[in-house]
Amino acid sequence: DSWGMLACLCTVLWHLPAVPALNRTGDPGPGPSIQKTYDLTRYLEHQLRSLAGTYLNYLGPPFNEPDFNPPRLGAETLPRATVDLEVWRSLNDRLRLTQNYEAYSHLLCYLRGLNRQAATAELRRSLAHFCTSLQGLLGSIAGVMAALGYPLPQPLPGTEPTWTPGPAHSDFLQKMDDFWLLKELQTWLWRSAKDFNRLKKKMQPPAAAVTLHLGAHGF
Amino acid sequence: TAVISPQDPTLLIGSSLLATCSVHGDPPGATAEGLYWTLNGRRLPPELSRVLNASTLALALANLNGSRQQSGDNLVCHARDGSILAGSCLYVGLPPEKPVNISCWSKNMKDLTCRWTPGAHGETFLHTNYSLKYKLRWYGQDNTCEEYHTVGPYSCHIPKDLALFTPYEIWVEATNRLGSARSDVLTLDILDVVTTDPPPDVHVSRVGGLEDQLSVRWVSPPALKDFLFQAKYQIRYRVEDSVDWKVVDDVSNQTSCRLAGLKPGTVYFVQVRCNPFGIYGSKKAGIWSEWSHPTAASTPRSGGACEPRGGEPSSGPVRRELKQFLGWLKKHAYCSNLSFRLYDQWRAWMQKSHKTRNQDEGILPSGRRGTTRGPAR
Repeated sequence: DSWGMLACLCTVLWHLPAVPALNRTGDPGPGPSIQKTYDLTRYLEHQLRSLAGTYLNYLGPPFNEPDFNPPRLGAETLPRATVDLEVWRSLNDRLRLTQNYEAYSHLLCYLRGLNRQAATAELRRSLAHFCTSLQGLLGSIAGVMAALGYPLPQPLPGTEPTWTPGPAHSDFLQKMDDFWLLKELQTWLWRSAKDFNRLKKKMQPPAAAVTLHLGAHGF
Repeated sequence: TAVISPQDPTLLIGSSLLATCSVHGDPPGATAEGLYWTLNGRRLPPELSRVLNASTLALALANLNGSRQQSGDNLVCHARDGSILAGSCLYVGLPPEKPVNISCWSKNMKDLTCRWTPGAHGETFLHTNYSLKYKLRWYGQDNTCEEYHTVGPYSCHIPKDLALFTPYEIWVEATNRLGSARSDVLTLDILDVVTTDPPPDVHVSRVGGLEDQLSVRWVSPPALKDFLFQAKYQIRYRVEDSVDWKVVDDVSNQTSCRLAGLKPGTVYFVQVRCNPFGIYGSKKAGIWSEWSHPTAASTPRSGGACEPRGGEPSSGPVRRELKQFLGWLKKHAYCSNLSFRLYDQWRAWMQKSHKTRNQDEGILPSGRRGTTRGPAR
């Protein structure tokens, strides 16, 4: 039963064991893992570009046309990356990381539910590969949160993301949902790169003072 | 918003479709005025549309072509300003044809891989699902193969729980939105379609100083070593820069072979493959394994001698000396008709008639009988 399996997968995702905080003495800090997370978002962005291209061609025109902008109906439940600039700037580290973590947990769940029976075997393989990479990104974010001592967000009972097709969900509506899922994923990856870049800059140690010793001879 | 009817219909190629787009709700007072249709992003000519009533726009499509993509053609109803009000996916195609040409093989009697071809006309324009089924002939229930696309898009792999000594019945079912089709049943015995790994440890080496020979040695495939069978082998070899393979057939049950008639000083690529013939008393040949990885070796090149002609692999030094002798003879004696060809002819004659040798012929000292035929002295 695919829905049951999906619910199970989503539950497992939400209950990822909290990684114990790293021992602070002598460790390089969260810097390297923030850098790694940043790199991962760039890699995923690149992977998504080719996956989305292929998938939208599979959906057919007008879905694969540039500037295609259908109504967002069922996509209301998707986590939105777009946010007011001031709000984004003023996010504290914990909230910034939590928003990223929650967003990708939802998106991964929906991606896994993208069970297009009719898709080619190759497309299914690309999707599966992307899901694995996205799982890696989630793990990386969890690692950063643990290094900074933040707890992983736990879902409130009843708010776990489920992928339900809705009553009489037509194939065309499904196509529009797929379109918005890919679009939102793309926007999130763009935003995350900026989120982690910002975190990286905050974590950098202040530039060491440089002292010049002018030799006594001849000067 | 609006609603298109029918939602996601399935249609046969060439059929017609009558669709409607009904607006309702907000904005209140919305009418069918100014609505238009697109199919796969292309605006449809207005003469195909008709306003049925204040809130409904109809569309008549005839002689439909097969769907542009397997996810369905996108039929969309737009408001006057171009925004999307509703959509419907059209699935236009053909029912599947009977899959044909099922062929199967078993690797070392442990598994079964099968391949088939979709029916003659191939393109159905709809996603077609293939399911490989199998069952033991006189008993057992139907089983379905689970691992698809192992060797190409129309293949399936059954990894375990296969029985020997009773034939299997195997068939393929093809299904799509317009119907299904079933292939003919193939009956086979696992033991008749066994293949194995290519022979490991293929070694090619020179045969002493012989310029035209190489020796090939290999090991019989270990996976089947416990089973009684007469393995058959085939060797193929080619010169380094060529694409033409020479095949040595009929290498039965040995694990070595000598290649002859080769060119000296040349690099050869050699491959060996195995057929587990007559396994467990099966009367049939098995299936040839893949070729082993190419092994290379070169024949020795002697210092500056001409290649012996005539194809007969004789030892190099004797011919060389003979050639030199004949050359000397020609210069210093009056045997102008002497030639190497004559020598080869003599050798061939010697081999043919060594029991019934007639002393009248050849350069041998003539006997009492008859005239001497042969070169004048």
